[in-house]
Amino acid sequence: MGGPKRAYSRREVLRLGLAGTGLVAAGGWLAACQPAPGAPAPTTGGGPSFEGSVTVGISTTLSGSIASLGQSGLQGVQLAIADLNAKGGVLKKEVKLVYADDAAKPDQGATNVRNMILNDQVVALFGPVSSAVAAAETGIAAQYRKPIFFHTSNDLVLTTKQFHKYAFQVVPNTYMEPRAIAEYLSRQPFRKFYTISPDYNYGRDSVDVFLNAMKDFGANIEVLGQQWPKLGTTDFSTYISAALAAKPDFVVMFIYGGDLLTFTKQAKGYGFFEQVKSGGPWDLTLLPALKGEAPAGHVAWSRGPFFAIDTPEVKDFVSRYRAKYNEWPTEWSLLAYTAVQVWAWGVQKAGSFDGDPVADALAGATVPTIRGSITIRKCDHQAEIPEYIGTIAASPHPEYGFPILENVFVAHPERILLSCDEAQKLQPR
Amino acid sequence: MVAWPDAVIQLLSGLTAASTLFIVASGLTLVFGAMRVINMAHGSFYMYAAFILATVAGGAAGGARFWVGLGAAVVVVAVLGGLVEVGVLRRTYDKEHLTQLLATFALVYIFADLALQVWGGTYRSVSVPPGLDGQAEVLGRAFPVYNFFLIGLGIAVGAGLWFILQRTTLGWQVRALVEDPELLAAAGVNVRRVGTIAFIIGALLAAVAGAARAPGITIAPGMDTEILVDAFIVAVIGGLGSVTGAALGAIIIGLFQAVGVLLAAEWSSAFTYLAMILVLIVRPSGLLGIPER
Repeated sequence: MGGPKRAYSRREVLRLGLAGTGLVAAGGWLAACQPAPGAPAPTTGGGPSFEGSVTVGISTTLSGSIASLGQSGLQGVQLAIADLNAKGGVLKKEVKLVYADDAAKPDQGATNVRNMILNDQVVALFGPVSSAVAAAETGIAAQYRKPIFFHTSNDLVLTTKQFHKYAFQVVPNTYMEPRAIAEYLSRQPFRKFYTISPDYNYGRDSVDVFLNAMKDFGANIEVLGQQWPKLGTTDFSTYISAALAAKPDFVVMFIYGGDLLTFTKQAKGYGFFEQVKSGGPWDLTLLPALKGEAPAGHVAWSRGPFFAIDTPEVKDFVSRYRAKYNEWPTEWSLLAYTAVQVWAWGVQKAGSFDGDPVADALAGATVPTIRGSITIRKCDHQAEIPEYIGTIAASPHPEYGFPILENVFVAHPERILLSCDEAQKLQPR
Repeated sequence: MVAWPDAVIQLLSGLTAASTLFIVASGLTLVFGAMRVINMAHGSFYMYAAFILATVAGGAAGGARFWVGLGAAVVVVAVLGGLVEVGVLRRTYDKEHLTQLLATFALVYIFADLALQVWGGTYRSVSVPPGLDGQAEVLGRAFPVYNFFLIGLGIAVGAGLWFILQRTTLGWQVRALVEDPELLAAAGVNVRRVGTIAFIIGALLAAVAGAARAPGITIAPGMDTEILVDAFIVAVIGGLGSVTGAALGAIIIGLFQAVGVLLAAEWSSAFTYLAMILVLIVRPSGLLGIPER
């Protein structure tokens, strides 16, 4: 008899349903969490001969609304490793890569990283997209003494409260980025501000630092309202209309990736970009996706736009990346590429793949990379690199086919970095 | 203080959110009402519709192909729904409830993995179809025309469901299925068929919501579970099994959010859950749910 059975009470069903929904919401994607699907780096046929191999790992977000950042970063790591191997590897060993998807979930990231360390014997780790995931991973890296390089997620806590000797941050952190934006905006006439930022560490910290930095840079501003949508919000209608109702003259947004794409598209119908000026991380994953829909004249920032970094090595990187992936690199691929360079330099310098000598070699070092030499501060292992801020061009760039940033302002690290004294005060004793 | 035209716009924004929530939740609650199954894969149907639409009408060509894409999405997902009912769920009706739940839970992962294989992990977007992409003026404020379309769609779906359930043979069969499947079978009705049709309608509703919401959102893996959680809350508030309840629940959540964002932004992400807790304290079976006998 195929009819539905009614032996279970509503209450039980409800309980099961709640539990199940909770599981789906909180649990990692089984689908996306094959532990580190072995993805060996391209084997070099007939190339240099290696004396064995070493493995490095990256667990990052490869599915969901911020996956484009993770995918792009992964491609940067892959290209960097291919380049290392083409030049004979690192300490004559071939570098292999394992990667896994964390689906932007901290527990999944932690599981991936532990698997990579215990099963794949990785000698170094490259970081995730979300700082919430990074926070879960960094402790594991410390526990097993594996150097970990954060190149996309950028939480200040990784170099302060959660700092340890094996953690390196080669991306402007959540102190530097909002300060850079404040330095830029403090010179503009906007005074009535509104903030929209994701409801987790990165979003909360960024807004905090931004508002304090505006004071530091001498801008006396008024905050008319603040919104904290959760990561992965699909309907921004109510946030958009609430922001407009407050009548600010500038809306600062730290929502990013797919969320900012959703916001941009939904805001258009409200005439948002005509009524207020806004600034947000419209990055090199979003500008090509939005093309003509990108809000021209609005402020955008980037942690490493290739078109604003004028070195022959970056130009070469851009053309080879383009050739390999049939798309333009993003700041995420550029930052990931330099992160691998930093690691490889540390290993060469130390003459070892072990965590301790590599970490010692890198602390305080000045490392040559495609974007020029970058210094890793000894006090907190933060790379001294700038943040870039500009306005979105009205028409697509003739070569790239999407609007890039114009009048790019480069916020120099010395003006936006947290001082070593302050950083060390926050670090664990 | 908030000017009243701004308040009206804010409420309309809340109703926009409510409309999508209602369409998704009505499918979830309909299936539960008819078959006492909570279909965890309901969000997968929603996501698949958006992906199918993006495949047909995404990218530069976009726009004009929107309606073709919407049709394709609804048809494909309805067929998928039928296959799931016949192929998987039908085998679980005489099993424990936990087994049924686990079966649909497994489907969530299978569908998610398949989507990752077929469409990849990065996001896609679809443009609002021509004719619906402008701004309307409401009390001197701009409001997206497409949001009016979404609100209208919610109302149309609600009216259509009411008509089917109250005024058609299929409707009373579905309602009778809830009350007494044995008697319905004895009356000569093919009970299995009614169950399959109810499930297909449920999948179809998820597809309509997914495809209609697709323009203007980021279509990416993960949207299945995000909507499932929200829709489940709406269905629970309304009372599982009650379509009218789902409508009430959606409006409550939409307006709670609209007001919350405007007046207590600091707490806005907690508002949805707060609404659910309040309703369940007062009415443990949801607003229009029938208490267990």
